[in-house]
Amino acid sequence: MQNLYIAPTSSTPEVNFQFDQHQLSLRGESYPENAHAFFGPIMQAIQAYLPTLQSTHITVDIQLAYFNSSSTKVLLELFGLFNDAAVAGNYVTLNWHYIEDDETILEFGQEVADDFMALDFHPCELIG
Amino acid sequence: MSLTDFHRFKELARQENVVFYYTGYFSQSIVTAMGDSLRLRLSSLDASQTARRKLFSVFVEMAQNVVHYSAEHLTAKDSADHEIRKGSLWVGEDNGHFYVVCANPISAQGVEHIRAKLEPLRTMTNGEIKALYKEKLHAEGESGSKGAGLGFLTVARDSSNPIEFDFVDETGDSGSFTTFYLKATI
Repeated sequence: MQNLYIAPTSSTPEVNFQFDQHQLSLRGESYPENAHAFFGPIMQAIQAYLPTLQSTHITVDIQLAYFNSSSTKVLLELFGLFNDAAVAGNYVTLNWHYIEDDETILEFGQEVADDFMALDFHPCELIG
Repeated sequence: MSLTDFHRFKELARQENVVFYYTGYFSQSIVTAMGDSLRLRLSSLDASQTARRKLFSVFVEMAQNVVHYSAEHLTAKDSADHEIRKGSLWVGEDNGHFYVVCANPISAQGVEHIRAKLEPLRTMTNGEIKALYKEKLHAEGESGSKGAGLGFLTVARDSSNPIEFDFVDETGDSGSFTTFYLKATI
């Protein structure tokens, strides 16, 4: 499967999905006009990728300094797909990067960890 | 308007600690540019990182609300994206707290719909707002919502005081309309 790279803009994150290495990352900020339009092709790529795996260790790095409410909802759907892949026998590490005193992002990360227990969740504090 | 009036306008804004003011059409690229400008302005002010982050979050939710929902728009009929709608937005400082105010025209039917969403948020504690946010985050998308239906809840969550709102009837070139005002204090 072809790797997916999308360069960042002011309102959309860098998407770097190295499917051949099983290393996926989102970095930057996310407040596009239409989160479903932006994340749609990304979700499709993930939905095509995950069923091809068997007992694979996938590492997901999320380093988003800010995301708006509609991106929050789409991110939750995305982590749901990873959780399903973990339940299906893969091992998914989610590295959740947040700036030290950013409670909102830390709390959302904890919410993700509580909702999707099959994920190997690692909060990673960045010293701001 | 004479140059003296412009000076009065500018002085009033300075006296009232208005950090930022924009009125006109809102599109995603305008929101992004305003966001960049707002951040630059905030970096020169004495504000905590937490306050800046919350202010930015409230600003984006309110500005994108105008892009999506203002009743007066220039959006092409066949376009689901690249929306352009009319509104105003203020960012200022009052007694050591930042605030964001947003105004946009809405349809007559919009009044009760918005009131029903906002009124309960005014009396909730921050814990109750966060609990409702969590519940909505997991709920199926609301019909008629272009975002996640979480915009007002995000504004309320990031405010330190209860949100304030009002509906003002006005008469313009194209007849009478209602302007919706929303204020959040960080």
